[in-house]
Amino acid sequence: MSILPDDLESRLRAAAPGGITLTSRTDSKGVTTLWCMLADSRDLRGAAALAKALGARLSTITALQPKPPKGAPEAVPGASAGPVIDGKLHEIAYHFDLDGDTLTVLVLLPQDDAEIESLTPLFRNADWTEREFMETYAIRVVGHPNPQRLFVDESIDPAVLERLIPFSALVNAASSKSLWEQIMLRKGAKA
Amino acid sequence: MSTYTIPVGPLHVALEEPMYFKVELNGETVSSVEITAGHVHRGIEYLATKRTLFQDITLVERICSLCSNSHPEVYCMAVEQIAGVTLPPRGEYLRVIADEIKRVSSHLFNVAILAHLIGFDSLFMHVMETREIMQDIKETLFGNRMDIAVNCIGGVRYDLDADAIAFLTAQLDRVEAALGEIADLYRNNNSIRLRTRGVGVLSQADAVEFGVVGPVARASGIAYDVRVKAPYAAYDKLDVAVHTETDGDVWARAMVRFKEMATALGLIRQAVAALPDTPIAFFSHERPTIPAGEAVAKCEAPRGELIYYVRTDGSTKPERVKWRVPSLLNWEALRVMMVGAKVADIALIVNSIDPCISCTER
Repeated sequence: MSILPDDLESRLRAAAPGGITLTSRTDSKGVTTLWCMLADSRDLRGAAALAKALGARLSTITALQPKPPKGAPEAVPGASAGPVIDGKLHEIAYHFDLDGDTLTVLVLLPQDDAEIESLTPLFRNADWTEREFMETYAIRVVGHPNPQRLFVDESIDPAVLERLIPFSALVNAASSKSLWEQIMLRKGAKA
Repeated sequence: MSTYTIPVGPLHVALEEPMYFKVELNGETVSSVEITAGHVHRGIEYLATKRTLFQDITLVERICSLCSNSHPEVYCMAVEQIAGVTLPPRGEYLRVIADEIKRVSSHLFNVAILAHLIGFDSLFMHVMETREIMQDIKETLFGNRMDIAVNCIGGVRYDLDADAIAFLTAQLDRVEAALGEIADLYRNNNSIRLRTRGVGVLSQADAVEFGVVGPVARASGIAYDVRVKAPYAAYDKLDVAVHTETDGDVWARAMVRFKEMATALGLIRQAVAALPDTPIAFFSHERPTIPAGEAVAKCEAPRGELIYYVRTDGSTKPERVKWRVPSLLNWEALRVMMVGAKVADIALIVNSIDPCISCTER
């Protein structure tokens, strides 16, 4: 039933000359999830093009900043450029659906230059998900055809998930103070 | 012919949820659409990292009320993968039953709004009256009409005894009878056919291009259903029919939903009949320690593929929880569906993707 080719690993290696680390697991119902960490984030386009050629649909994209392990920051095994997990580093996981199975392609972005090529020219539905992580993280997406804000208003600075923003400001809930004043009034206290 | 730009929304386009469409018109024909989101963004993905893995079950159930069972179900599936937990068979079947009850309710709501939007309000009332039986089922079995709180890590939190099963099957008979009559109306009534056939067409090629999922994809001829392609819960042991249409219009999407409701009722009956006699959850009372790891899980929510990515670091809180709801992909396809449509059909086309804004904006 699966459309995963037997030679997937060698084809991924050919598509990502910088090197890959591939792991996979299949659950009791026969559904396979594959995890492919690219050593070089510039290989993303090649890996994505291979996924497209295999008939993949882009399910979604997750951007995150992995937390440093307890103790000192350490180098990531398998990453030749040697990015350090320090809590500031960006990681992006691209989840491709291959007729039920999932291939997740992971990239770590360079420490000082969080930049990644847009997949929207290849997968049209990357449009919204890329715009979403462009506004929530300090990641530049190169070659996005429509780099507009998606959810966060233009008046708010980008990278909202990397800064401490009062929740009431983020959701524009300025009413919270007046509500509190009403409660205090009703209780007979000074607002 | 003169051209205009009109704002549609953000309030009350089809449902009482905000989404703004900037529609370019040529006469009264739509020539292009721009979509602006973000009116009710709530930052739930951020909140999820500030709560424990167990509190998040309650949180994600509140992302959306119509697919409120799908969110915690897939979230639990992802955490179960990380923890290496497998469900006892009875728990798997009970998950299917809850899922399919929610699917019927959700689809009935969507086709009801279709009738409302074309001004067929007596039919709208009739469908909502039928949906009320499903609501009563949920209230009786789970104690709540929308957020039914049945999922936990490793299984479910409810069980069905003989009385509950007798009640459920009797109510299903009532729904089935009403549903047959309603589906006939939607299939054959001229007022409905005139307003919905050939309206809001999405070709199969465009459906692939936009990566749409769920009934929207299946109405354009894509036979993808997570329950079959990546089985979970007890779906691998049940006979799940996948329904497709070829027209890709508003009518085809409604037809897919009707067929799926009939299948869902059948699945509930299959699951009830095969309910194995085992515990309902892997853990009885204790809360397991969730190790560090990452997992992807997906399910077929009423609106299509819902996918969760969870990464844990061995602490009580997740490092990242990310989900992509079916609506997020389906919005963009409106830009194709609406071109060439009349102004009067805009709300009808928006409703046909069964959009969920609370899901989209999180």
